[in-house]
Amino acid sequence: MRRKIAYPLATLGMVASTVVVASPALAHGYVSSPPSRQALCAAGTVANCGAIQFEPQSVEAPKGSTQCNGGNANFAVLNDESRNWPATNVGSSVTFNWVLTARHRTATWEYFVGATKVATFNDNNAIPNASVSHKVDLSAFSGRKTVRAVWNIGDTAAAFYSCVDLNIGGGGSSTPTTAPTTAAPTKAPTTAPTTAPTTAAPTATATTAPTSTSAPATGSEWAPGVAYKIDDVVTYQGVTYKCRQAHKSIRSWEPSIFTLALWLPL
Amino acid sequence: MKRRLVVLALAAPLLLGACGTDVSKDSAAPAAETTQTQNVKNVSEITAGATFNDTDVMFLQMLVDNQEQGLEMVEIAAERAQRQEVVDLASAVQATQKDELTMMKNWLTEWGKPTTVDERVSLHADHGGLPSTGDKEIESLRTIKKGKFETAFLNLFLAHQHNAVEVAGLELDKGSNELAKQFAERVKQSRTDQVQQMLKLLAG
Repeated sequence: MRRKIAYPLATLGMVASTVVVASPALAHGYVSSPPSRQALCAAGTVANCGAIQFEPQSVEAPKGSTQCNGGNANFAVLNDESRNWPATNVGSSVTFNWVLTARHRTATWEYFVGATKVATFNDNNAIPNASVSHKVDLSAFSGRKTVRAVWNIGDTAAAFYSCVDLNIGGGGSSTPTTAPTTAAPTKAPTTAPTTAPTTAAPTATATTAPTSTSAPATGSEWAPGVAYKIDDVVTYQGVTYKCRQAHKSIRSWEPSIFTLALWLPL
Repeated sequence: MKRRLVVLALAAPLLLGACGTDVSKDSAAPAAETTQTQNVKNVSEITAGATFNDTDVMFLQMLVDNQEQGLEMVEIAAERAQRQEVVDLASAVQATQKDELTMMKNWLTEWGKPTTVDERVSLHADHGGLPSTGDKEIESLRTIKKGKFETAFLNLFLAHQHNAVEVAGLELDKGSNELAKQFAERVKQSRTDQVQQMLKLLAG
């Protein structure tokens, strides 16, 4: 029955001209670690950032800007020093990691501290990978500094901007993200302006749920931001479910027909 | 039932004639299909209904491709990641996306459409962008040193899930099938929150 109906639709679909896609957002890339300002917004570590929270990869503007938002008025929050952006403790050499959602031909990658250019990586118009890393020597600096990282696109007039707040010589390793056992430069959650000195577990800062992430009481109501273990029992909309796969809950992972792999109805 | 389907078929030329503009929704069909999902016991029993447009098809085809790559990545991560939080995230993504993949392929088959893309395309193709994640980069996750694995995986999977959000945005903007749009909303929410978790794991 369904197939009969699908046939004329499919035929007509082929007659229709090639689908022309208008990009919903011209989103392309940002520095994920050490976290750039837009990464801190997207992680929920810094709250009330506006639209950039949902598209940290979208700070696109003409080349040559000296501002954290590249002059893109939509993301003025990124220039707002009153936000007291948490700074990551790093050593004198820092590996910057970019996340790219579209791999554009690349002229150069540039790194600035204030007006001083501290590093340039020339890609000679090559196509980058989806994640790109650069090791930058910052031994000429110490203390709190804002590094402006710029991705200059090869075949357009645009660049992508990411400002990364660092505490140079602050005792962190050059690659703080890979060493879970060292004193992690864990950011204080949401409002606290300074870097948390302790090594709080990274899972302890849930922004979506005000509740703690400790194991829920049996049969408590499902909530986002909770670390559920196998066999934990929750209720959701009057039905009881058992957890089948350990996970930290997020929106759309509530018990439902779509998430039977996580939650078994009892 | 029979009558409704016939009406849909007749209406199809009109709907497609309005190419480029919003395809008007069939009010009866999606409501019935939505109700149906309440009673099914397995995700593979969810059917999408007969009303769809080119964007619905492209959304599913692109996301099928995205998720097949994604499943490769999380499978590697479930084995190689060191922190339990990373392993749990990868395993939960693996579990949920496997079911989503089955559902999407069923919908495409229902519609008489291929479940694969001939050539991997990018939402940014019109201005020179290539799709986010390359197969070579995924392969490199198998061989990269253990100490560097989590950073490499999280950055690559961040890009990947960002892309899924972008594709879902396209469907929410221009899709017509109610269930596909609801699914796109779920994709947008879950991947956005996964991005949030991954950025925190990357920082800590």
